Amino acid sequence: MDAQNILVCGIGGQGVVLAGKIISNAAYEKGFDVKTSEVHGMSQRGGSVSTHIRFGDKVFSPLIPEHGADILLSFDIYETLRYAKDFADKKTLIISSNYGKIPLWASTRENDRISIAEISEALKINFYKLLMVNNKETVMSLGNIKVANIILIGLLSKFTDIEEDFWFKVIKDNVPKKTEEINIKAFLAGRNEK
Amino acid sequence: MNIIINKTANVNAALLTGNEAIAAGAYKAGVHVATGYPGTPSSEILPYLARFNKAVVNWSINEKTALEIAIGASIGYKRSMFTTKHVGLNVASDPLMTLAITGVRGGIVIITADDPAMHSSQNEQDNRFYSKFAKVPMFEPSDSNECFEFTYEAFEISERFDTPVIIRTTTRISHSKSIVHIEPAYLPNMNSNLENENNSCLKKKPYIKDIEKFVMAPVYARKRHKIAIERLKKLQEFSNNSGINNIEYNSLDFGIITSGISYQYVKEIAPFASVLKLSFSYPIPDLLIKEFVKKVKNVIIVEELEPFIQDEISSIGINLKGKEIFSRFGELTPNMVKEGLINAGFIKKYDNKSSDKLQGKGGLSKLDSLLEKLPQRLPALCSGCPHTSVFYALKKLKVPVMGDIGCYTLGALPPLNAMDSCISMGLAFGAAQGLSLSNSSPKKIAGIMGDSTFFHSGITSLIDAKYNNACFTAIILDNSTTAMTGGQDHPGTGKNLSQGQVVSNKIDIKRVVEGIGIDEIYIIDPYNYNAVYKTLKKALSSKNLNVIITKRPCILYPCKIDLGKKFKILEGCNGCDLCMQIGCPSILNSENFLDNNKPIPFIDSSCIGCSICKDICVFNFIEEIKS
Repeated sequence: MDAQNILVCGIGGQGVVLAGKIISNAAYEKGFDVKTSEVHGMSQRGGSVSTHIRFGDKVFSPLIPEHGADILLSFDIYETLRYAKDFADKKTLIISSNYGKIPLWASTRENDRISIAEISEALKINFYKLLMVNNKETVMSLGNIKVANIILIGLLSKFTDIEEDFWFKVIKDNVPKKTEEINIKAFLAGRNEK
Repeated sequence: MNIIINKTANVNAALLTGNEAIAAGAYKAGVHVATGYPGTPSSEILPYLARFNKAVVNWSINEKTALEIAIGASIGYKRSMFTTKHVGLNVASDPLMTLAITGVRGGIVIITADDPAMHSSQNEQDNRFYSKFAKVPMFEPSDSNECFEFTYEAFEISERFDTPVIIRTTTRISHSKSIVHIEPAYLPNMNSNLENENNSCLKKKPYIKDIEKFVMAPVYARKRHKIAIERLKKLQEFSNNSGINNIEYNSLDFGIITSGISYQYVKEIAPFASVLKLSFSYPIPDLLIKEFVKKVKNVIIVEELEPFIQDEISSIGINLKGKEIFSRFGELTPNMVKEGLINAGFIKKYDNKSSDKLQGKGGLSKLDSLLEKLPQRLPALCSGCPHTSVFYALKKLKVPVMGDIGCYTLGALPPLNAMDSCISMGLAFGAAQGLSLSNSSPKKIAGIMGDSTFFHSGITSLIDAKYNNACFTAIILDNSTTAMTGGQDHPGTGKNLSQGQVVSNKIDIKRVVEGIGIDEIYIIDPYNYNAVYKTLKKALSSKNLNVIITKRPCILYPCKIDLGKKFKILEGCNGCDLCMQIGCPSILNSENFLDNNKPIPFIDSSCIGCSICKDICVFNFIEEIKS
């Protein structure tokens, strides 16, 4: 098969790197050739962050080509907009949190503001499928804010060729022992949505 | 390429970053001493190697000292490794250039991790030139598996040819993960007692002196330089014949000579082309190159940054195109390689499936207009960062600030805008002395750097300042860690990788400054904004060389700090924007606007309770939330 390309993006400190690790390790456990690429350093301090994940029979470049993302997973709606422009195309599935932190020094005038509704409308017109997740609601029902990303990963997992067991193993390998149960619950909440 | 990978194929394999793979390769080679100074993208090699619990793995005060420690270990017949980011090799270039002619006893491998595109660096110098400059061989791995294999191989070659060996990676190698074919015994936490065969290092040899080899006084240095030049010939033979440099013949119409990450882009975009992959890229394999250009009709060079391979190839009388097609600036991407190959006539414009790009549909213009309004998300100091108040006070005092390299470089960016230079590690105090000598500013100059940078190379320039009667205010932001690179230890923390969490010899910055003979020293808590402002004002009005040390641990390293307090902005706030000026990521513009169209700020739940904003709000609209 052709390499499957998943781009994860968000803001430094949101867990983009961990999400990338879980997705790439799940693909690795399944037996695919896997490559990932991320950038550390300056971008950790609240800057915009992304991880490229590619898996398939054979992968050369660790970077996803322009407009080459099959799935764009985003933890911040504003970053969804930023990365969709360069990496999405008509076939891209976008899974995005409906929450966004307005960048510091965002415009201070009301009429320059971009609303979340505007962004989702523009994304819907342009891309294959947009799944906006109000993870606040789901998170609240699970009672732990830290599992928000896992819910989105659960949702993403439905669109990959990687079976449930591989995901369970990798999540267990990468979260603290005492949060295993809630993370698996969160994963399933995402995976079984709709 | 019919590689079928299945579950069983992954048994002797692991998904590793380039940095992790280098550490595993060094472990397999039986490295005895490994040193370095943290720097993106090289910082994760030593911590991973330390997890094996075998070698002595330590952060050094700076790169020069790190390489010198590695040299000493080699003189004692042990294998040693030195890791650095590209600019750090400049600091270590003094020992490197002469180590290159003395050669080694135990193998020495130097890892230089370059940062094309300057993701987290002040320049994008191409360190491949160091191999030519110093006449030492160089590997350029193109994935993690090669990082593992080449690091092991580099130790062998170092001893076989009596030379240090450079392994040059880039950010996309260091921080990319790919599958490494590795026995579990060469991964950490496996408690392996595996003896590493072929490892000269395991044999204990008593120390013997050899001044003709290691005392580079002119009389011996002249002899050794000749040996180093002779060595290059042998290395070139190896480059041609070892099989490490390798030709993959395909179409005889199109050929590409490439190295490092560029190889991966080439394989993906032009699988039909013949490829000469330079893995051992200095000295170049002249015979292989001649064979390749003779057999293949059109040959071009795909390399990132400088025309290093291109120049080397033209020096043997073969002129190929490279930098005429591919940018000399920044990193290459798959798309840039594709465009270059289109321009070179290797691929036709639309023969790849690019038909699904976004095309109009009316919505694209909407997307574009939204993107235009989307502000850049600049990196910022963390919520509760102890550096914040110092920069805010410096901004208020409007003094020239000679700055340095670390998290606090972000103090130069808006909204703080309170740092005027960032050029090299340890620049601040030297530049502050020089700027004050220029008499160009009526105000006293401030120089500012962090604790790790002070140890790295600030101490020397502070001694120079005292010695030469300089007059400026030296500010040392002591957050007890090397924060920007991920929280590594340094002499001021007293801990190190090999020692685990044991605090042994903690070097006290204040006592260092006192030892220099500087009397006017202020120690302040940066969470007390008013004290910071008053102290800076006082220090910057005195006619002496004085030092301010701010003391507060980093809020991220070694462990996340939350003071357990939260602040809020009270109703009635007039939207004056003052609290926004400190650039705290927890203070945001809300969706609500005042009558004058100004947004009302609010403090979100990421507040850790540092209270700096409360001190800054002159109208007293910021208050602690009492639960």
